[in-house]
Amino acid sequence: MRNAQVIPANRVQWKSQSVFKFIHSSDLHLGKPFGRFPEDVRVRLRQARAETLPRLASLAREHGAGHILLAGDTFDQTTPAPAVIRQALNRMREAEDVTWVVMPGNHDHANATELWRQVARDAPPNVVLLLQPEPFALNAETTLLPAPPTERHPGRDLTEWFDSAETADRLRIGLAHGSVTEFDNSEDGGSSVIAPDRARRAGLAYLGLGDWHGQLQIGPETWYSGAPEADGFKHSETPAALLVELPGKTAPARVTSLPTGVISWRRVMLELSDDPADRNDCTAAHEALLPSLPERASTLFDLVVSGRAKPLDRVALENAIAGAAPDFLWHRADLSALGLVHDTTDLDAIDRQGALRAAAEALAREAEDESLPPETRETAQAALSHLFSLALEA
Amino acid sequence: MKLLALHLTNVRKFTGKRASITGISDGITVVCEANEFGKSTFFDSIHALFFEKFSSSAKSVKSLQPYAGGAVEVAADVETDQGIFRVEKRFLSRKSARISRLPNGTTVAQDDEAERWIADLLGSASEGPTGLLWVRQGLIGLEPDGVREKTQLKETRRDLLSSVAGEIDAMTGGRRMDRVMRRVADSLAEITTRTGRKSGDWKAASDECEALETELAEVTRQVETLETALNARKQAEGALRRLDNPDARARREEALSAAKAAMEAARAHAGTVTAARQERDLAALKAKSAQSDLDAFLKAVDTLQVAEKQAAEHAAGAEEARREAERLKTALEAAQTGHKGAAEAVAAARKQLEQTRRQIAARKAKDEAVRLGEQIDKAETALAERDAAAAIVKASAATPKWLRRVEETAAEVSGYRAAAEARATTLRMTYEGAVRITLDGTAVPADQPLPLDGKSRLELPGIGRMTLHAHGPDSDDKARLTRAEEAYAGLLAQAGAASLSQARAAASARAEAAARVDLAQAVLDTLTPDGIDALRTARADANLAASDAHDEGLPAVADLETRLTRAEEAESTALQALKKAEAQHASARESAVRLQAAAETAQLALERARADAGASEIRDTRRAERLRNQAHAQEILAKTETALQTLIAAAPDLDTAAAELKRAEDAVATVREERAQVREKLVGLSAEIGTLAGHGIEERRDELEGQLEALRATEARFARKAAALTRLQSALDAERDAARETYFGPVQEELKPLLSILHRDAALSFDSESLLPSGLKRDEAKETLDDLSGGTQEQIAILTRLAFARLLARQGRQLPIILDDALVYSDDDRIIKMFTALTRVAQDQQIIVFSCRQLAFQDLGGARPTVEIEAV
Repeated sequence: MRNAQVIPANRVQWKSQSVFKFIHSSDLHLGKPFGRFPEDVRVRLRQARAETLPRLASLAREHGAGHILLAGDTFDQTTPAPAVIRQALNRMREAEDVTWVVMPGNHDHANATELWRQVARDAPPNVVLLLQPEPFALNAETTLLPAPPTERHPGRDLTEWFDSAETADRLRIGLAHGSVTEFDNSEDGGSSVIAPDRARRAGLAYLGLGDWHGQLQIGPETWYSGAPEADGFKHSETPAALLVELPGKTAPARVTSLPTGVISWRRVMLELSDDPADRNDCTAAHEALLPSLPERASTLFDLVVSGRAKPLDRVALENAIAGAAPDFLWHRADLSALGLVHDTTDLDAIDRQGALRAAAEALAREAEDESLPPETRETAQAALSHLFSLALEA
Repeated sequence: MKLLALHLTNVRKFTGKRASITGISDGITVVCEANEFGKSTFFDSIHALFFEKFSSSAKSVKSLQPYAGGAVEVAADVETDQGIFRVEKRFLSRKSARISRLPNGTTVAQDDEAERWIADLLGSASEGPTGLLWVRQGLIGLEPDGVREKTQLKETRRDLLSSVAGEIDAMTGGRRMDRVMRRVADSLAEITTRTGRKSGDWKAASDECEALETELAEVTRQVETLETALNARKQAEGALRRLDNPDARARREEALSAAKAAMEAARAHAGTVTAARQERDLAALKAKSAQSDLDAFLKAVDTLQVAEKQAAEHAAGAEEARREAERLKTALEAAQTGHKGAAEAVAAARKQLEQTRRQIAARKAKDEAVRLGEQIDKAETALAERDAAAAIVKASAATPKWLRRVEETAAEVSGYRAAAEARATTLRMTYEGAVRITLDGTAVPADQPLPLDGKSRLELPGIGRMTLHAHGPDSDDKARLTRAEEAYAGLLAQAGAASLSQARAAASARAEAAARVDLAQAVLDTLTPDGIDALRTARADANLAASDAHDEGLPAVADLETRLTRAEEAESTALQALKKAEAQHASARESAVRLQAAAETAQLALERARADAGASEIRDTRRAERLRNQAHAQEILAKTETALQTLIAAAPDLDTAAAELKRAEDAVATVREERAQVREKLVGLSAEIGTLAGHGIEERRDELEGQLEALRATEARFARKAAALTRLQSALDAERDAARETYFGPVQEELKPLLSILHRDAALSFDSESLLPSGLKRDEAKETLDDLSGGTQEQIAILTRLAFARLLARQGRQLPIILDDALVYSDDDRIIKMFTALTRVAQDQQIIVFSCRQLAFQDLGGARPTVEIEAV
């Protein structure tokens, strides 16, 4: 068993405390490129992820926690750029009053030899690297049982050894990365599978998990911390880390969520109805979904509009969307699922008679002709939408 | 509105004068005057009156002013629904405009109000519909060149057609439609080419996508290379750990030491065995030598005995063979003598037979020479005959053709002569007494016709002298006869004939000679098919062959042949006997030589065996000595062999020891070499990994994948947009085309009957932009207006105006059509047809025609107004 002798004595202040406190986080995915976004957005997103490290250190200091346990996927790749590694270690070095316990995940698994060789070479004294499944003494009374993935998709429960791990009379904390067997909660599918009752079976005071980017409690003492900074629209929760307080072997763990994210990822569904009884004001509905103005500059806003709308409403909505888009760090609106519904009055907006009106009616008929292939109908509907916009401009 | 009269004062050539046209009818009015009359002045003045402000100083107004200057006044009497008015304007000096009601002259409006009154009358503030109707002199196109005028007329046409076919904008979408279509086209042009290929941002996205895919493929390959290198390094590090295992290394070194010791021991024992083997081999050599010595002695004794016997036998055999050879030699000589006699007999018989045969042949040649001589004589005779006849033929010109010409000429002469005679005046005298009359001094024979020619003087003795003037043959007859006679004489002279009978005789003689030539040639061809020289050569050969012939008696050839056959048979028998004797003698002689050689060999072998065996008195001593030596050597050999086998049985396997040592050494060397290789590989892999990992290629790959995903989505959006815009464009095009068909309908309806007057089954197509005819279709052929003749163009221009005029009339806006020498290019036939069209329209439309073509317009009909010019 490795012990915590690498940790300078002046930083293990928890010794004097009766409660062992630490910060549980995971899935920092440092070096994630976010290639599908424009360059300026990419820079912001990468910067925000890099700055999660000092934020976690601040939280640890603020709450008197001496350790920050990173449950995998600290890095996004097995061979990140040297600058990503060095700058992450430098930020950890900067927080010298905190001990960083870094365990590989499936993205930066233990067999990523080049990565961990560089980390081992450049790591400051306050960084502990756990590449082997063997007990590690966090202090005289507490032992950490890590289950570092050895491959991208190990396909087995790497925490099984926790049950028989010999830790004498110490407090046992588990740290693992992967999905829980009861549901498929892997971020990218097929990583390691962890028994949901592992904490109970292995007598763990706390089992800290990584891989799931949203914060989630699995059992009384089993938690996914979630990523400290979101990297997609999948999770609606505010990105956060967990403050874990362990009063003792018999007392239950106290877990507190501490918000950490600075970039907001918002995927918003706007469903419009063409039912006169249920018709709402499109622009008002859109306005209601928007975050406050100060928030928008740090928000990635992905609007998905569905349902059916009258042409003029659609034009108004498009104008409203176009008006709001520049407020956001990034904005996208998908109106492909929004169907058009129109009547004679709507077509009058294009023209009351004549060729324009005839063209609009021809396109409207084509869009509603169910004998035609869906692509043809969609094209006709899109053409009609363009016609509405252009006719109104004209 | 209808024009009733026009009044120009001080306009252009009408300086200080007032020119008026009155009596303009409701239908067609024709002002047909010579050039320089001032028709265009009237046209331009009317135009200025209705379309130029009274205050205008435009070029068109100034052009009306005469050289002398002064104010220009134009007035027109017009009839409207409200009555008859005079519209008058004064330009350039003391400018004014006035509308007054006729006949009382009450002012209705002045100046600007007058201008508004005119505008209301025309229905447009601009040039208005009348611009559609009035055709200036020499205009063959449908539109003027000026942009402003073009635009005005287009707007006018649009207005006109709008009111006829419904709201034109409503029908075709109008300007709004234009703007939408332009926006669609612009939007489409931003992302596609005219042929529908990607361009602009879409093309840029596509190109970028392609570039990213290429880069992604390269980066992915690098990532794979990196992963491969990482795996290889991991395996190499594991291998190095295995190679560096201390236990394994100790085991390898211990095995090497043991193998080396075993190898040394084995090598030492092997030296002892080698020495023992050498000693055994030496003993074996000695034993073998002793045995050989003994065997050689015993063999020499045996050989001596055999040699003695063989020498005696070979000597006896050789003697007997020599005697036999002598006997057979004698027999051979006898056979040779017999054969020689037989051969001489054959030669003698053959010689006699050949001599007899040569004599017979010589005698045959002699006979042949005689026969050939006779044949040559005949041939030479025939040759001489042919040459003589041929000379005659060659010398004679009396060919059959010549004879035919002679006979024809003779007949011609006879004919001419008979004719001359027939036309000649003759004198025939029958005397009753002795008195004879003379003609030109010659007595006239009795009872014979005497031809008279020309003036002849007859002496009538006792009576007097009579002069006769006779008309003989005329000069032409004489000339023809003379020419014929000359030709006849010429022809006869060619063959030396004097008459026709001589000519025929000459021709017959020539034909006979030609027949003789043919006959002689036939004889020659038969006698000497190869020529007479060949015959002569054959006779010379025959004479030579017959040179030895004589007349003595000869034996019979058959007897001689029988004799020769018998001699040859005897010679053959003798020859066989000779050959047999020669073979027997050769065999015997060879056998004798061979047996003599064998006897000598046996004698030599006997002498050698005697030398080997030694003299008979020491032969036993030598045998005993050799037997002892052989037994001793065998004893020593057995001892050394036993010692060697004992050592071999106790020896370790040197090869095995060497193999074990080699294996131990190889194991150590292999590990050392493998370790060096692995370390070298690790250095290379680490360098490669360091290079690849240092570039963050995984991150770049993920970044590229993200960018590609976004770009593909962008591309898809562009594709959807392009499809939608393309569909929208096609829908708009289709509907506009359909609307235009509706739009041009009224014009086509008005134009159709007018056009059919000039071109049966012809149809005009219209340009959607200018709203004017753009082409003519007739006889299934389409022509653009520019392709048509000037006459056809001006006719279409006028017909189109007539059609527009009818449209205006249907709206209740009656405006006159004014044509100023508008049909300058049309031929007379077309002008008449155009008159028909004008007359048709003039039934409910006022038309005023100015023309200088007085003759052509005589038949147009219509009113002829009064034109008055008076000084003011």
